[in-house]
Amino acid sequence: MISIKNLQASIEDKEILKGIDLEVKAGEVHAIMGPNGSGKSTLASVLAGREDYEVTGGSVTFENEDLLELSPEERAQKGIFLAFQYPVEIPGVSTTNFLKTAINQVREARGEKALDAVNFLKLMKEKMKLVDIDQSLLSRSLNEGFSGGEKKRNEIFQMAMLEPKLSILDETDSGLDIDALKIVADGVNTLKTNNTATIVVTHYQRLLDYIVPDYVHVLYKGRIVKSGDKSLALEFEEKGYDWIKEEVAAV
Amino acid sequence: MMMESTILEHLDSAFQGNAIQKEALNMLKEIGLPHKKSEAYKFTPITSILEKNVSFEEKGKNAIDKNKLYKEEGSHLVLINGILSKEDSKISDKLILKIGEITEGKHDPFSLLNTAYANEEIVIESGYEEPVFIYHFNFNGLSNPRIKVNVKDGHTFRIVEKLITPEDTNTFTNSYIEFTVGKNAFGYHTKVQNYNLATFSHETVVANVSRDSHFYNNTFSFEGALVRNNLTINLDDENCEGHMYGLFLLDKKSHVDNNTSVDHKMPNSYSNELYKGILDEKSTGVFNGKIYVRQDAQKTNAFQSNNNILLSEDATLHTKPQLEIWADDVKCSHGCTSGQLDEDAIFYLRARGINEKNAKAMILNAFALETMEHVKIESVREEIQELINKKLI
Ligand SMILES: Nc1ncnc2c1ncn2[C@@H]1O[C@H](COP(=O)(O)OP(=O)(O)OP(=O)(O)O)[C@@H](O)[C@H]1O
Ligand SMILES: [Mg+2]
Repeated sequence: MISIKNLQASIEDKEILKGIDLEVKAGEVHAIMGPNGSGKSTLASVLAGREDYEVTGGSVTFENEDLLELSPEERAQKGIFLAFQYPVEIPGVSTTNFLKTAINQVREARGEKALDAVNFLKLMKEKMKLVDIDQSLLSRSLNEGFSGGEKKRNEIFQMAMLEPKLSILDETDSGLDIDALKIVADGVNTLKTNNTATIVVTHYQRLLDYIVPDYVHVLYKGRIVKSGDKSLALEFEEKGYDWIKEEVAAV
Repeated sequence: MMMESTILEHLDSAFQGNAIQKEALNMLKEIGLPHKKSEAYKFTPITSILEKNVSFEEKGKNAIDKNKLYKEEGSHLVLINGILSKEDSKISDKLILKIGEITEGKHDPFSLLNTAYANEEIVIESGYEEPVFIYHFNFNGLSNPRIKVNVKDGHTFRIVEKLITPEDTNTFTNSYIEFTVGKNAFGYHTKVQNYNLATFSHETVVANVSRDSHFYNNTFSFEGALVRNNLTINLDDENCEGHMYGLFLLDKKSHVDNNTSVDHKMPNSYSNELYKGILDEKSTGVFNGKIYVRQDAQKTNAFQSNNNILLSEDATLHTKPQLEIWADDVKCSHGCTSGQLDEDAIFYLRARGINEKNAKAMILNAFALETMEHVKIESVREEIQELINKKLI
């Protein structure tokens, strides 16, 4: 589905991604772990099309198309979804309101008919149940005054509404209590099909008990320094990242 | 001053007023029109701009565009060059309306200019709750529309005002409207200022508010070569409220200067002011908000804020709060912000599939919307919303 080759990116002349290689196929779940500041969110942002980052080398192909050529909205329309580590607050714009516009622009780009008010509401109700989110939250200003957990839940709600092909969840588990974590994980698992893929960025094994990854990668100083199956995550849980850092230093 | 004397000299030959007007003219000659050093017009050198751009010629009456009239219940007053045109108006027989001699007004230069040269004074009184729509069609080089509104005790009265001017000749409108709000009454005043780059205006709004009464002004400005709004609310008695909401959403070389003041004179009154500016291209926005709290006005609550978004490096903003407080038991707050569009917010919306233009419009629209809170007449709301959308998308 997505093929990342030797991807390099910098911001303000500071090199952050130093050659990332990653291949994600339909139906797969990949976890990306790694210490703070290693470039996980940067990778997520670059894939979503954030223009602050300058791609200085490498390529990204998404469903046989050069992803790096596309604007953020085109990427979303083609099925890329980023659940933000820090969802933005937008005063005066409600989730309901902007999602209606978003969904219809996505549908339009895919050559589908716009959803009318009735069908939009129906879809909302269905997806609200999935992530157990309250209507009142959705009619408030987007993320404004939301608790940490509410913001994350709202991200997954939006994902459910937009039905993306590739979801990138950037620390969606941080700030969630254990019940919310289960709900969010259940939501993600329900939406999973053989035609979708998920990249989960997390610091904790805990989430991976619920969203079971096929592969685990460790990102460190802008490079993927280790890949393995889910047992790799357990190793970090026990030993921390120091051994990885030592291993990298030794090379 | 050389400049101002040419305007006044030019007008002098056309003077035909009554004793009050004569006195106003004398006063005006004494104090003069604003000049380079006038603090109140620091960012809007109106006299020299008028001098350069407007010839105060009479153009007479042209055909009016009836499409500009709202399709709402109520009275629709059409004024042409400051004179009520009965044949173009639709006046409810419940509306109390008088046209007559010029009576006293405020004493600042442009109010005096209006007093001296107004052709007639239109007095309207609340007799029922239907709104009154006032349309100023001005073709002359100088028009001085003059209106007095009496909101009687216990009444609610809504006035909506619009100015329509030609695009191909420069015009100057110097309007004056004065509200007298009786006891336990509500006065609502909305102005829609969507002009063109040939339109110059100085618009004075005065409200004198009595005990237990509220006055609301909403001013929406979209385009104009020079628009100066002088809004004064006098909270003359106890337990009054004054509300001022404004939006200036400008592009091209539009210049809008909002000069507002609220005067708390007696205890227990409240004022709230919210002005928002969105400035694009080479536009200029000015906000000056004065709050006076007199010695007797204990337990006053006064709030003011002015928030602005600059969309272009060539746009200019001047904002200045001005508080003068003589009472000691007062709650007062003011704040102004100005910044660019929030890039993080735009990216967030784009990452959900909304294109850049719509994402920006959505954020700006939400920003602007707060100023519409007290506009209750549906077709006016719609028109403003449309104007906002047209500017943003
Ligand atoms: N706008 C920016 N300007 C300068 N440096 C930046 C900017 N954005 C990110 N960085 C730097 O890039 C590096 C990678 O940041 P990134 O947010 O990708 O890390 P992360 O792996 O997601 O960390 P965390 O686990 O804390 O979320 C950090 O050193 C960060 O300070
Ligand atoms: Mg991060």
